[in-house]
Amino acid sequence: MADLFDGIVMAEQRFHGEGYQEGLAEGSHAGMAEGRRYGALHGARMGSEIGCCLGFALTWHCLLQKCTEEKNSKKIRALDSLIGMIQKFPYEDPTYDKLQEDLEKIRGKFKQVCSMLNIQSDFRIDNERSSLTF
Amino acid sequence: MSWVQVAVRQSNEDIFDEDADEMCLLQKEWNSTMKKRLKEGYRDGIEAGKELALQTGFNQGYRHGAKLMITCGQFKGILNALLSWCHLNGHDSALSTINNLLDVVRKHEDDMLKYLNSTGEQPHLGHILASVQDMDLNHTAGTDYREVKDGKHEDYGSSGENICRNNGEVGSLQSECSKANLFTDPEKSTLAWVKKQTVLLVEQLGLSLDILHHVQQLEH
Repeated sequence: MADLFDGIVMAEQRFHGEGYQEGLAEGSHAGMAEGRRYGALHGARMGSEIGCCLGFALTWHCLLQKCTEEKNSKKIRALDSLIGMIQKFPYEDPTYDKLQEDLEKIRGKFKQVCSMLNIQSDFRIDNERSSLTF
Repeated sequence: MSWVQVAVRQSNEDIFDEDADEMCLLQKEWNSTMKKRLKEGYRDGIEAGKELALQTGFNQGYRHGAKLMITCGQFKGILNALLSWCHLNGHDSALSTINNLLDVVRKHEDDMLKYLNSTGEQPHLGHILASVQDMDLNHTAGTDYREVKDGKHEDYGSSGENICRNNGEVGSLQSECSKANLFTDPEKSTLAWVKKQTVLLVEQLGLSLDILHHVQQLEH
């Protein structure tokens, strides 16, 4: 009787195991594709925003180089600081634990720079346009 | 007392039938239990597999998406900076050109995002080429790149702007861009075209060569 019981349990385990292996392979495949898709969209959003900040800051940095006014050197210092923050930021690394924290700091600095440059909000809004939301 | 016999026989038959049914039922029950175990295992396996792969996939996709989009973002940033600079410094005639270029970059970005959203696979040149070929390019027949470009330069020089003309140009600017896509490397040509236009723009505005250097450094 015990043998029969063992047999039943083993059969159940065997069937469960067979199903499991099959499911595992399919689940891995589906999970990989799903993860990649979500990851790509999140990464793309980050890349676009960080690239936009960097391009904006580097270009304004160049545009202000010609002028030597005291007011401009303050702006240039702010831009330097923003550029430094972006260049140190491992935007492409999803395992970086301060990803969101640093991004918020960069966003804050970007807003500060924009207001120092006297750039109206509609230019700023343009950088964060809704095209990146799904 | 025949009714007793009938009843007994019937009950015997019933018992006999029940036995048969029971064997059948047991077999069915066994089968369904094993099927259930198989299904349970399959479900558990799918869950476990998904859980295992989801994070790995997310990380892979994230890196890929971030690297793919950084250049596009940089172009947006450069053009936005030029737009705000022109706006603050009274170069209003350049604003529409910059906005047109920004539209091209945004369109390109939207296309990339749509592509990334549609598949978990890595982008494939053939796919992008196919999607570019799907675009309706017929209405641009007759205009050529040179004409549009010259048209833009004219608009730029004249201080009085014709809004209708500029609106018309957004369309042709974008389709010229798509056309450029068809004839060169499909993945790179949109941004390469934007880069060329941005270099022209910076020259037109008489801005420092540092920006040109910065624009030219953008590899994509």
